[in-house]
Amino acid sequence: MPARQSGAMNAIDFHTVTKRYGPVLAVDGLELSLPLGKSVALLGPNGAGKSTSLSLLLGLARPDAGSVDVLGRSPQDAVKAGTVGAMLQEGELVPGLTVRELVDFVRRLYPDPLTLAEVLELADLTDVAERRTDKLSGGQAQRVRFALAIAGKPRLLLLDEPTAAMDVAARRSFWASMRGYAAQGRTILFATHYLEEADANADRIVVIDHGRVIADGTAAQIKATTGGRTIRFTLGGQPTAGLKTLPGVTALEVRGDVATLQTSDQDETLHALYATDLRVRDLSVAGANLEEAFLDLTRQAA
Amino acid sequence: MLRYATLEIRRMLREPRFAIFTLVIPVVLFLVDAGIFKSDTGLGGISVAGYLMISMAAYGAIVAALSATGARLAQERDNGWLRQLDVTPLSAWSVVGAKTLAAMTLTLPAVILVYLVAGLTQGVALPGWQWAALVAVSWLASLPFAALGVLIGSAASVDTAQPMVTGSMFFLAIFGGIFIPLEVFPRSLANVARLLPSTQYTEIGRAVAGGHLPGLGAVAMLAAWTLLLCASGALAYRRATVRA
Repeated sequence: MPARQSGAMNAIDFHTVTKRYGPVLAVDGLELSLPLGKSVALLGPNGAGKSTSLSLLLGLARPDAGSVDVLGRSPQDAVKAGTVGAMLQEGELVPGLTVRELVDFVRRLYPDPLTLAEVLELADLTDVAERRTDKLSGGQAQRVRFALAIAGKPRLLLLDEPTAAMDVAARRSFWASMRGYAAQGRTILFATHYLEEADANADRIVVIDHGRVIADGTAAQIKATTGGRTIRFTLGGQPTAGLKTLPGVTALEVRGDVATLQTSDQDETLHALYATDLRVRDLSVAGANLEEAFLDLTRQAA
Repeated sequence: MLRYATLEIRRMLREPRFAIFTLVIPVVLFLVDAGIFKSDTGLGGISVAGYLMISMAAYGAIVAALSATGARLAQERDNGWLRQLDVTPLSAWSVVGAKTLAAMTLTLPAVILVYLVAGLTQGVALPGWQWAALVAVSWLASLPFAALGVLIGSAASVDTAQPMVTGSMFFLAIFGGIFIPLEVFPRSLANVARLLPSTQYTEIGRAVAGGHLPGLGAVAMLAAWTLLLCASGALAYRRATVRA
């Protein structure tokens, strides 16, 4: 299949893609383009359509409607050409081989791979290279999966919740390795439901829920688009009646002593708040953080 | 594809218990049967031991071919390893080819072992070229069974794969006239049994052991089975890996 040229080539193009699994609409008219050379996070809660989107990009699933382009070609062609690497979420490593043998085998499937030494080092596997694949700890197995994904030196790297089973230290060293790989101008798309991970490791965050893109931009942009502000104050045992209906308030949360108001218009809300009989103590007003922005977005999309 | 075949073979060699189990049973059966039927006269121009040798070699080839792939392939589909291969440039055809080839590397020692034991201990004597021809034919003709292993592994679930492999082994062996000669079967049953690849396989083997060319009918039918099973196996594998 000839490559579809359309000016500058994108790493990924979703053209109004729909995908159903039985009654479940996993991806719903998804429209998304990612340019080359960036690290992008696909952020969404469980069931948002992240894994399905990745499956579509890898040619493991076919869209019911719309089309998917990867590096200007069909996903199957891109995979066959060795331009895509993937770190999948589940998947046991085939037993009966050493780490070295497995990584080398996968490496040699690609037209222009990294050297075996490079892969083992990037994935921090040099120490366990001679160990059998069925004798690895969870974290080590995850690193092998990472090694298999980068071994072919793919231009596009897709990762499905790569740090899911990792502890904090493993996670940190994983992202350090990832930065090493990304540094050479490769495109990275990783799916995650960890907001801090998306924030810390992606140039751009695409928020997805119910199979659609609901926000797209840098972390700062996403925080800004919800436009909301958070007003926090100590409520003590005072009644909460009427707080939710103050002008501008979009959400109210009371946890212990503290009331948190999400508002689209802080001035109006504060004015009205002080007009009530409530004694407002320890007031703080802050821009929405990414978690609140995210919750806000997914609440709107529901 | 060859590299993946090598990988599969290497993995098989690292599980000696599996290989030994697969290879030893037909030999044991042969020796037991040869002991039991020692005094009987031969069938169709070959000695009893020679007859049994062909039967057990056929059984060995079937067992080896099916066991090498069947259950393991179903497991690899289930645990995600094949999905991992799916996102590499390795094509589905290569995987099918590699697994078939790997299964064939187990059928070779299976038949050789039975022939060796038959020749060394039961006095089955054939000229050197005939042994060579027998080994070559037995090995090549095991291809349809290797393909069947791929078919079962691609189509069955993890739980049903092993029972299907075992069931197929016995079905093919029994109705291939391996344990009981087809002459003993009732006419109608024997006619159906003659259509099975295992029947043709043993027929061809007996012909070569008896020193004459195998019948064209048997060869043609086995070839047809081979094509059918290889195509089905490849299609089943493709269907299994492309998630709808």
